[in-house]
Amino acid sequence: MRATLFVTCLGDQFFADACADSAELLRSLGVDVDVAMGQTCCGQPAYNAGYWREAMRMARHTVEALADAEYVVVPSGSCAAMLRGGYAELFAPEGGTAVAELAGRTFELAEFIVRVLGVEDVGSGLEGHAVAYHHGCHALRELGSREEPLTLLGNAGAELVEWEAAEECCGFGGLFSAKLPEVSAAMADRKLDTLPGPDIVTSADPGCLLHLSGRAAQRGNGPVFRHVASVLWEAANGSP
Amino acid sequence: MEVRSRDYAARARATLRDEPGVREAVIGATVAFDRHREQAYGEVDADAWRAWASDVKGHALTNLADYLEEAERRLTENGVVVHWAETAADVHSVLEGVAAAHGVRRVVKGKSMLSEELGVNAALQGQGIEVVETDLGEYVIQLFGEPPSHILGPAIHRSLHDIQQLFHRVHGTPLDATPEDLAAAARSALREAFLTAEMGITGGNFLVAETGTLALIENEGNIRLATSVPKVHVALVGIEKVVARWSDLAGMVQLTSRAATGQAVGTFVSMIHGPRRDGEPDGPEAVHVILVDNGRTGMLADESTWEALKCVRCGACLNVCPVYRQTGGHAYGWVYSGPIGAVLAPGLLGLDEGGTLPFASSLCGACTEVCPVRIPLHEMLLTWRRRAVEAGMAPTTERVLMSAYAAAAKRPALFRIGAAGLRLLPSAVRRRLPFLGSWLSVHGALPWSRPSFMRRRKDGPT
Amino acid sequence: MRDGILTRIRSALAGRQAVAHPGVFVGSPPSGPAIEAFADRFRAAGGEVERFSNMDEAGDWLDGFEHAFEGVAAGADVPTELATHLPSRPAREAPLGVSMARYAAADTGSLVLDSHGGQLPQLLPPTHLVWVRADAVVATLGEAIEAARGDLPSALALHSGPSKSADIGRVIVTGVHGPGRVVVGIVG
Repeated sequence: MRATLFVTCLGDQFFADACADSAELLRSLGVDVDVAMGQTCCGQPAYNAGYWREAMRMARHTVEALADAEYVVVPSGSCAAMLRGGYAELFAPEGGTAVAELAGRTFELAEFIVRVLGVEDVGSGLEGHAVAYHHGCHALRELGSREEPLTLLGNAGAELVEWEAAEECCGFGGLFSAKLPEVSAAMADRKLDTLPGPDIVTSADPGCLLHLSGRAAQRGNGPVFRHVASVLWEAANGSP
Repeated sequence: MEVRSRDYAARARATLRDEPGVREAVIGATVAFDRHREQAYGEVDADAWRAWASDVKGHALTNLADYLEEAERRLTENGVVVHWAETAADVHSVLEGVAAAHGVRRVVKGKSMLSEELGVNAALQGQGIEVVETDLGEYVIQLFGEPPSHILGPAIHRSLHDIQQLFHRVHGTPLDATPEDLAAAARSALREAFLTAEMGITGGNFLVAETGTLALIENEGNIRLATSVPKVHVALVGIEKVVARWSDLAGMVQLTSRAATGQAVGTFVSMIHGPRRDGEPDGPEAVHVILVDNGRTGMLADESTWEALKCVRCGACLNVCPVYRQTGGHAYGWVYSGPIGAVLAPGLLGLDEGGTLPFASSLCGACTEVCPVRIPLHEMLLTWRRRAVEAGMAPTTERVLMSAYAAAAKRPALFRIGAAGLRLLPSAVRRRLPFLGSWLSVHGALPWSRPSFMRRRKDGPT
Repeated sequence: MRDGILTRIRSALAGRQAVAHPGVFVGSPPSGPAIEAFADRFRAAGGEVERFSNMDEAGDWLDGFEHAFEGVAAGADVPTELATHLPSRPAREAPLGVSMARYAAADTGSLVLDSHGGQLPQLLPPTHLVWVRADAVVATLGEAIEAARGDLPSALALHSGPSKSADIGRVIVTGVHGPGRVVVGIVG
């Protein structure tokens, strides 16, 4: 089985280790991994801001860049949802087979591991660690992937802490966080204020992690924020 | 009411900066509302109920002219006087006419978002008529001189402390009065108003075409009183409130209640069929229903957003909305706030006036998940954003940058050079860039990976 | 005005696929007997429920209950056997209102009251005593509403507990405008 990693623009720039860890984790599970060098941005920032013409340009580019992929694995629920559902909206009503095909073989990382590979156990290196999982909105509501990351983390021995705001939006929202920074920051603050003191906060989304960790840094407190790919890969290797 | 939704960003910022208590009060109230809703949905087959309710409203809306005519016939047979109004001014003139005919000097009102939308209070007061809001929350904000900040809980942005001080000033209650004491003070003032008012004004949750029934849901009993004590009752009803059948009511009132407050049904539901009949000991002498358009026919014609007219005004989308929770409703600058407000604003007010609000969302989709009539709210927000951009409403800087970003994204090498360039800028310069600068204003420094992942790939296998 | 609105609606809907009516609502009927389910719901909403096997038993209980009140406003349709011996007062002054419910619905804990006997005794006194016949307690609100179809008075109302509000400080306060105490007597 071959998977092409779509690392996303934020993953590339801010979560390079997590991108590399995604590749290693998949390889350890017997998947041939490659990286499409032509990839850039899926177009979601433009799409969500109302710039559909621009988004279509980026989408076409991405569809081409990923044309040869057997599976596309994305260490981001949000960008995976864009490739899967957003593109269909963008190119409706005419659609197009390339778009539909891409949607059918695109998965967020944890989703891919559990649903496609059928693997629920990647290692046990999280014994003794209290982990809070932030559900990115698009993984949760667009992809319908709530349990997959929790299954993998739980089976790796993590103590998943109850977090009142676990399923609430962190306030990133792409351009939203730059256009309404105070509201966006207040949303992150609610997430941070309700955190029950875990060792690690993890999530499948670079955008959310960038926002939450950036806000925590600005406030001068907060736990360690890690991408779920890194947490899982390290769990597979013994410890985070 | 006056519309100031274009100032959303400034008002939101000001609320967060100057009134931190609002955020605390609104989060407390909305989290509690949403928890009750979630529990109430969990007790029943909520998905099936929502699908049913969505179709009840969809059926009525896609046959709206016929059902409005049927409703008008039944209402008239029941002895109700039916009026039609295209605009707020039309509503005002009907109300003035009815008030004059009955010598009305004092009006008691049940909570009605439509009356807020239409600016009814100011119009009546302009005629020298005293208007008393009787829902406890509405009464509180009327005394504060504020518009409602939430569809269901108009005063949720106000803390107990705020209301203690207000009532101390107005009613002379002690500064440490309990909610019970405060409610008792309001009850006695409002009881007097009920007994002396000549007219009661309410909205309407549902209008049943088959039977000409006006249905109203509430918890306090003030609507029951406003529709039975004064000699005239006038109901303001948006044309989208029609449902086809008498048998639709049982499900609609239950689902609306569960979505709104988590109750199996609101404490009081009035189902009104006209004025007092022969042999009935009490009740109003005259009942008027004003069927209000005020932009709704325009929305109905919109292929992409007409389903927003299914809204039953339960407030569930506000309660679950993480954006709404930070500021409450006043930041939106219009009577309807939160996700449904942001969808209705451009629909009812036009893109020029209401086109800012669809951007007041992170598009997290939580609203769509809870809506009892399954309005795809976040998809509609996206539709309005696209229309706003296509209409040239976006700021020039944003347009230019977005266009440049999209152009660069088609050229991977250029895209990466752009990112590398950003890294090289001194942080003082980055903080002055559009978008990035405002992002950095509330975040710590950007945690660049050094080198980036694609750079690593290029330099050697990972 | 009217015709303009209707014309705009018809033109807005031209070519729009009509949505079929989804049929009669299927709610969540209680699993147990209706009377017990009604009582549970009504009590959970803050109301009180008394159960009597016949009119005499209800009358005996009423003799004790009415002692706490100095006057009554009773609905015109309350049967003589269930009437108090208290002096009649206008509803706005009476400490107790008494009325007769047409139906009670178990799934929502609702009493179906109507305007035939007068609405003010149901609303103005701080305590409201409502009688309902045991055979008028049905499983669902849908059944109760359907049963009422044949005779729709000027106002039909569901009362599902005492008047309440949480508008001040999110604290639930009862008896805000309507009765703060509601007692249901189920007879038969």
